[in-house]
Amino acid sequence: MKNSSMWSKPFYYVIVFAVATISLYPIFLMFLSSFKTSAEIFKDPLGLPTKFTLDTYRTLMGKVPFDQYFMNSVIVSVTSVVLVVVFCSLAAYYIARFKFSWNNAIFFIFLLGMMIPIKLGIVPLFILMRDLGLINSLWSLIFMNIATGTPLTILILTGFFKTMPIELEEAARMDGAGNLRVLWSVLLPLMRPALGTVVIVNFISAWNDFFFPLIFITEKAKMTIPVGMLSLFGEHSADWGSLFAGLTLASLPMMILFFIASKQFMEGLTAGAVK
Amino acid sequence: MRKMTRYLILFLFAMLVTIVLAACSDSGDETATDAKDGNSEKEVTSSEEKVEEKVKLTIGSWRTEDGPKYEKVIALFNETNPNIQVEFSPTKNTEYNTILNTALQAGEGPDIFHLRPYAAGLKLADAGFVEPISDIDGLDQYSENYLAASKGADGEQYGVPLNISSTQFFYNKKIFADQGLEVPATWDEFIEVNEKLLDAGITPIAMGTKEGWLLSLTHGIVGSGVLDGNVFADKLVTGETDFSDPAFVESIEAMNDLKKYFPANSEGLGMDDIRTIFAMEQAAMFPLGSWEIPVVSELNPDLDFGFFPMPSKNGNQSVTTWVDGSFAINAKSKNIEAAKTFLEFLTTKEFGELFVDEFKMISAIPGITSDDELLGELSKTVESSSTPYYWVVNFVSGDPTTKTVLETELQGMYLGEVTPAEVAQKVQGNAEISFEPFK
Amino acid sequence: MMTTVQTASKKKGRKIGKSWTIHLFPIPALIIYGLFVLYPILAALSYSFYSFNGFSRESFVGFDNFVTLFTTEPYGSMFINAFKHNVLYFGLQMVAMNGLAFILAFIIYKKVKGAEFFKIAFFLPRLLSVIVVGFLWKLILNPNFGTLNILLGRLGLEELQRAWLGDPNTALVSIILVNCWFGLGFGVLIFLAGFQSIPGELIEAARLDGAKGMTMLRKIYLPLMVPSIMIMTVLTFIQSFEAFELVYAMQGSMGEPYYSTDTLAVFFYRLAFGSSTSGSSDALGVGSALAAVLFFFILICTMIFLKFTNKKEVEM
Repeated sequence: MKNSSMWSKPFYYVIVFAVATISLYPIFLMFLSSFKTSAEIFKDPLGLPTKFTLDTYRTLMGKVPFDQYFMNSVIVSVTSVVLVVVFCSLAAYYIARFKFSWNNAIFFIFLLGMMIPIKLGIVPLFILMRDLGLINSLWSLIFMNIATGTPLTILILTGFFKTMPIELEEAARMDGAGNLRVLWSVLLPLMRPALGTVVIVNFISAWNDFFFPLIFITEKAKMTIPVGMLSLFGEHSADWGSLFAGLTLASLPMMILFFIASKQFMEGLTAGAVK
Repeated sequence: MRKMTRYLILFLFAMLVTIVLAACSDSGDETATDAKDGNSEKEVTSSEEKVEEKVKLTIGSWRTEDGPKYEKVIALFNETNPNIQVEFSPTKNTEYNTILNTALQAGEGPDIFHLRPYAAGLKLADAGFVEPISDIDGLDQYSENYLAASKGADGEQYGVPLNISSTQFFYNKKIFADQGLEVPATWDEFIEVNEKLLDAGITPIAMGTKEGWLLSLTHGIVGSGVLDGNVFADKLVTGETDFSDPAFVESIEAMNDLKKYFPANSEGLGMDDIRTIFAMEQAAMFPLGSWEIPVVSELNPDLDFGFFPMPSKNGNQSVTTWVDGSFAINAKSKNIEAAKTFLEFLTTKEFGELFVDEFKMISAIPGITSDDELLGELSKTVESSSTPYYWVVNFVSGDPTTKTVLETELQGMYLGEVTPAEVAQKVQGNAEISFEPFK
Repeated sequence: MMTTVQTASKKKGRKIGKSWTIHLFPIPALIIYGLFVLYPILAALSYSFYSFNGFSRESFVGFDNFVTLFTTEPYGSMFINAFKHNVLYFGLQMVAMNGLAFILAFIIYKKVKGAEFFKIAFFLPRLLSVIVVGFLWKLILNPNFGTLNILLGRLGLEELQRAWLGDPNTALVSIILVNCWFGLGFGVLIFLAGFQSIPGELIEAARLDGAKGMTMLRKIYLPLMVPSIMIMTVLTFIQSFEAFELVYAMQGSMGEPYYSTDTLAVFFYRLAFGSSTSGSSDALGVGSALAAVLFFFILICTMIFLKFTNKKEVEM
């Protein structure tokens, strides 16, 4: 044990540092380039900007109702994530812990959604949304996020429910706990790593989704950040500095939220490990 | 496992039933009820019009960059039509078709929308999504060629032509002056200019082959040089000659020979790259459309550049033109009368002048001039010596379209995968299926 | 008293004892998923049995569209070409992304210093929108201004410089590697969660038995990691065969250059929605047929795979 760590530790660090550099550098480049002019970007793409100003950001923020987009994105993403995790926990628990003969089939039906491009159904979907009166409503996006996030969430949660030792549950049941109680106070607390993963993944895809808002939302006041920023790309196709500022603005809220929340998730991960 | 299979079979069966049901119900109501809807809506509109209530129109477009300019257009429109409120709501260029088509198929969408020119846009008209507007005022001033961009197979007019795009070579005046070069007046002089620039260590042509549409566009320019302007184009569209013509193969070979004048790594360069190369004065010439003038100027305000029409071997010179978009009315719009009022406004001289000043593009309305020197000169050339861009005007049908085949195969040629003769052969093969006169 | 407790703890007995309310659990998810994913997809799959003229559906043609897809040029060769690219997509992602993610997760699990930082660093790219990723890497891979070529130049490796996305030999591999860059952190998280849910007692016990190194990996880690390996393999498989967004963001709907980056989903998009410059396509029927073929292919492969891993899991 000691021997192996002697030679492997430095080797480990070389790997993680190299990969971390590759992971971070492009993002760093995006931030950096947002402070440069187009000419600077092309003449010296790797260099530092000659002067740091927030002017590009100020003009960009002035051009679009960024705070409005931000609020819409937050409402859509948070609501979607809460609902998808609640609904899928219930469903995954049912699929993983009970041996009804149709469970495998239900599981598979849920997985079907991952196997076909949902874009195919965009015309029937649009008609459905129109009939439900959800065009230009944030609910159209929330429902789409829940529905499209369900397959992956069910897959992950079912997998982890299956790894939970059955004895824990049985002990609780002997104390007279019902299904909901078992799920909520016994199993879910143990599933924090998996729940953390599921929350992050769903949050990211809800936050970054641009196809459905593009189709279902036409009012500026209901747009989310990616779509609102997308329109900027068209306006500044030659102004690379502004473009990078736009890209940064579109990505920054997600990163900040992640930094705030990541501690929570990572603690969840470690807590899971101790158990 | 066997049980699971049984449930899956059950499910697949249920799926089949759903498919059949969905298919039946769709075909039933889409045709019947939609037609009814359309009528009743129209009645409502006309009664509303009498009350003179404020109506609201939305305009769909792929020109996201034009938002502030359209605000000025709308302000001018409201001077004479205060009761019609107009909102310009564009969507991203690459997603525009998907969004518009989806909305139209569901009987929704903006009241007025930017129609792609020729066959691409007319598909929407053929499907009954576009309101015929042959009865609006002001259409008679346009030339037949321009109206053809949005005239349906049924002879009805479906759109008001907005702007004319022309493609030609732009050139860097400073580099030309420094090298003692003159604007070429014949094809041979054009090649000579390229050679001299190459000898001087300057990249002659800012061009990349990564994006297919740039290749058909460049063929539109270069081809008119090799094929002597209208001479080939006129015969082609009537079916008198086709793409197996040796002259056409020669034009493809000429495209291939130009590669040595392109920048290094041209196979990896796209639109943004070549624009930047030209604007940053790293290349002397730039084959592109009139719409690039304001973009290049914005990128480098100090750049002194002009254009020259493509010279042919016989010394004929022409720019390549087509109608780049028209405005049309959604057949399901609740405010068709108001929308027609707006479209009539788009045919007025006042609008034409504002358009040229603000958008820096060539108006389809005859007799509108521009204060911008370069654009004004280009507008004149468009009226005096132009050749139609037949790839867009005539060859955008089929799947893939003939234009797409040209683009893909030219890309293959630049990558060394196919020969010029094979390019011509594949283009001809596709056109024989989709182009009426060749059938 | 004793007997009731015993039966209740048996699986069969438990579900009888807990009545019908348990069947409400999957209902909310099923309703939303059924309404907004299953229904529109099934409705649209019906298009594959119809012929289209522009936007108007003409007549029921049975399996004609499927026959056209495989026998009519250029569809047939485009299909094979795109399919090969999807296979490469899957293979390369399994090695370059999942393999690396497994190693990284193991290293973090072994408690390197700064584990928190590395977890965040690996995961950060996954936070970006695909549009941003595509745009950013297009610039990095740009032949003339791009960071990669400039770096290669400074390192004296000029002969490696090329038009990464314009050269058909490197374009697809570049896109797949960008996808790996994007998805790596997710794999690390899944594998890490897998490692961390291995009961510590098991590892202690194995260690006391004198297991170490490769034996440890083979006998303890790999079998217990099967659920997460399975999840990642299935996900990577599905994602590889549906690869669309990044290709579309970086190379457009034509799979440029010269169809060298075409994938089945991009091919489908081109058929169903047309390319942006040429208006919409007439091939909605054939496009839907392609989507149906893709769907059943993924479905069957996933079923075979799950069956296989289920067996493995039971054996271990």
